[in-house]
Amino acid sequence: MQLTLEFGGGLELLCDSVKIHSIDVDLPAEEKKLTMKHLLAWVRSNLIKERPEMFMKGDTVRPGVLVLVNDCDWELSGQLDTTLENKDVVVFISTLHGG
Amino acid sequence: MDGAHGGEKTKSRLCSICNQRRPALKRPKTLQQICRECFYVVFEEEIHSVIVNNKLFKPGERIAIGASGGKDSTVLAYVMSELNRRHNYGLDLFLLSVDEGITGYRDDSLETVKRNEIQYGLPLKVVSYKDLYGWTMDEIVKMIGLKNNCTFCGVFRRQALDRGAALLKVDKLVTGHNADDIAETVLLNILRGDIARLSRCTSIITGEDGPIPRCKPFKYTYEKEIFIKDLERIRPRAILDIIKSGEDFRIATSTKMPEQGTCQRCGYISSQKWCKACVLLEGLNRGLPKLGIGRTRGVNRKDDQHNDAKNIQSKPCGSLDF
Amino acid sequence: MACNGTGCESGCYKDSTGDEVEKSSTKKLNGDVNGDGNHHRHQTTCLKCKAAEATIFTGGEGGSRFCADCFRSNLYGKFKLAVTSHAMISPTDKVLVAFSGGPSSRVALQFVSEMQLKSQKNFDATAIRDRSLPVFGVGVAFIDETELHPITCTDFNKAIEDIKEIVSNLSPTKKELHIVPIRNIYSTKTSDGSETLKNLINTVSDATGKEDLLSHLRMLSLQKIAIENGYTKLVLGSCTSRIACHVLAATVKGQGYSLAADIQYADARWEIPVVLPLRDCLIQELNILCSLDSLKIVEEFKDSRGGINGLVSSFVKLLQEENPSRECTIVRTAGKLTPFPFNKIPETNTDSNDVHLASQRRHKKFNLKPIESLPPDSFCPICNSPIRDLQSVTSFTNSQTTPELFGAACCSSCQYQILPEELSSMEEFYSFLPQSIIERARNGNQKWIREKIQDCLILDDEDEV
Repeated sequence: MQLTLEFGGGLELLCDSVKIHSIDVDLPAEEKKLTMKHLLAWVRSNLIKERPEMFMKGDTVRPGVLVLVNDCDWELSGQLDTTLENKDVVVFISTLHGG
Repeated sequence: MDGAHGGEKTKSRLCSICNQRRPALKRPKTLQQICRECFYVVFEEEIHSVIVNNKLFKPGERIAIGASGGKDSTVLAYVMSELNRRHNYGLDLFLLSVDEGITGYRDDSLETVKRNEIQYGLPLKVVSYKDLYGWTMDEIVKMIGLKNNCTFCGVFRRQALDRGAALLKVDKLVTGHNADDIAETVLLNILRGDIARLSRCTSIITGEDGPIPRCKPFKYTYEKEIFIKDLERIRPRAILDIIKSGEDFRIATSTKMPEQGTCQRCGYISSQKWCKACVLLEGLNRGLPKLGIGRTRGVNRKDDQHNDAKNIQSKPCGSLDF
Repeated sequence: MACNGTGCESGCYKDSTGDEVEKSSTKKLNGDVNGDGNHHRHQTTCLKCKAAEATIFTGGEGGSRFCADCFRSNLYGKFKLAVTSHAMISPTDKVLVAFSGGPSSRVALQFVSEMQLKSQKNFDATAIRDRSLPVFGVGVAFIDETELHPITCTDFNKAIEDIKEIVSNLSPTKKELHIVPIRNIYSTKTSDGSETLKNLINTVSDATGKEDLLSHLRMLSLQKIAIENGYTKLVLGSCTSRIACHVLAATVKGQGYSLAADIQYADARWEIPVVLPLRDCLIQELNILCSLDSLKIVEEFKDSRGGINGLVSSFVKLLQEENPSRECTIVRTAGKLTPFPFNKIPETNTDSNDVHLASQRRHKKFNLKPIESLPPDSFCPICNSPIRDLQSVTSFTNSQTTPELFGAACCSSCQYQILPEELSSMEEFYSFLPQSIIERARNGNQKWIREKIQDCLILDDEDEV
């Protein structure tokens, strides 16, 4: 599945200062849909190069990270359970200072 | 967790204000789901009413917008220029940026500020530590090493915007402190035991007290922000409740701020003979960078400081008229 | 504007003065790192007696170093100072100690009985000549909340046995122990107190609100026990750490106005005045004392705090690890907020001249300032917090109370986190409230409190004459 990920507000520093990533994620085995939960796990192991705790806390993003799926706050689409579709754009922005 | 509704259901829901467009965010303050367009409108009008209700500006005033290139200050620059135009505030707006002189550090954010200058048509003034103090941070680090440079950067930074604003001869300085920042300041003042500042840190104009001191060690700031973010997650209105608490605290009006005088050297507000920045500068200029760091009060304790007056002039320290 | 502190990223490896303190204190503990034998020796002698070897390091302000005896007397000294300087316990009192099973209330219990023992000894020594100073009485209350937080029957029985044993081992005299289920806040006639209580808690949706409501009910329960059994003071074991958490939690809940009422040594807004003699003791110190003196703790009822309260506790814990005097600073800062007139023990009218002289002497000795603030307009019927601006003071002129009127009389914090939003749930909530809370809203509270405060106010005036 083709997705575009954008990191901003300092989070890009955690993945080699690259802000925009065009990625291709495979559906996890035995699943029909790709959810944000899977995507986060994928991002953590494939894109984040350093200090993963600045991005993740448990299986979700750290407090203070804003997540937009196709320009829409993920709080509106079910957060971790948000289903992703081909060509979706996911944006992560740190709203903490110093970022 | 309302995980049950997937993407489709969201798309069918509509903005709770205009009832036409798809919502793009949930406002923490009201928990309303609103679309991007309505968010801009509501947000800008709220700022407008804050400005009007608190009589923040008078027509014809020169206003500097503290611009760091960060999110808050970018938004502030946009909203200020937009509202100034829309509601005919009649303000002369400037962007004011501080360049610490750290190689490779400000470049990105200065780029952002320059973009803001073009986008919003606001004149930009960049004042450097070199202009203000005669030293860049790089030079300071070269002199004292990495160990104590936070003290310098913090003290210098606290004054930089005010000094820059004085250079620009503006009437007021606006900064992008948001509710999170103020909530944080309330907590910080409780944690530090600063009852006097606690009594006025929620006031919208900090006035003659100078800017709220904000340079705290990074780790501390980080934990505090995380705490605020955690709170916000379980209870979005906690941020506003903290500010309400700050406003409601029963603090005797007799609680005084520490005696506020002015620095004999540069005229900046200071409780001591010399302000902290001047003490630190004195150390740098005399080749004794440890002066003013740690417990000893440095030159403020000595009476023979005037003997060294000549040394002071060896480097300019950005003479300012306040 | 982005934080002025961002520059620290540019190469700040030293991130707080707290670190500096930490480092130097580690150095102190491992004194021999310096290789100086004498120095090492000096570092480990007790700070107080300067003779015995220090075995206890407290994280308190200044990071004290004590031998066991000095540690004990220092901690008891803080308790005693709080009690005497605020006239918490007088010879004619009968005090009720609220015991939860935890270390703070365990120490409170211990210290109160030590004090009782001492005054008993004084009494015995002077008994032949003069019997004018009686020994105050002590009772213990344990509120059983297992109907809300169920534990196994074996655990419960064991815990109750432990509590009985702890209380029966306290000298000098046998102490009355009241083990009371929290449902007793409902009048004894209604047999389904337990159901009503569960229903009441269940109508509250906010997790923090549930917790806070329960703690208000606990206070109601303690007050009831005290009133019914003729106690004159209620002793809580709230320590600095607990109060520091309350300061932050109350701030976060928007209770800035009422905060000052909750954190003083004495709180006479309750029918039976509440006193906090361990206000200046840290939880670390209380834990040390419990293990040092093998004071038995009952762990079965340990409550874990969630929501805002839990978050605040873990934040304070984190800060305390970073800087051991942080909790003291928080309490000291909040202590500078102006207290209310009821934040002192009202003086009894008997022998008023003597009492008055004593009070004046006490004020002089401990440099206490009279509280000069005005009483609040009203009190929240749920949490008893003072409220500044009463929107609906006239609503209660008739004795009829409706759920809406009741809701309007509550403080904004309770309105948000405890009261249900919808009218139908609000009606349910209202119907499950214990009678005493309804009473409080209806009439008694404000009038009663006003009278009580009047006493305090008059005394303050006279103090100055």
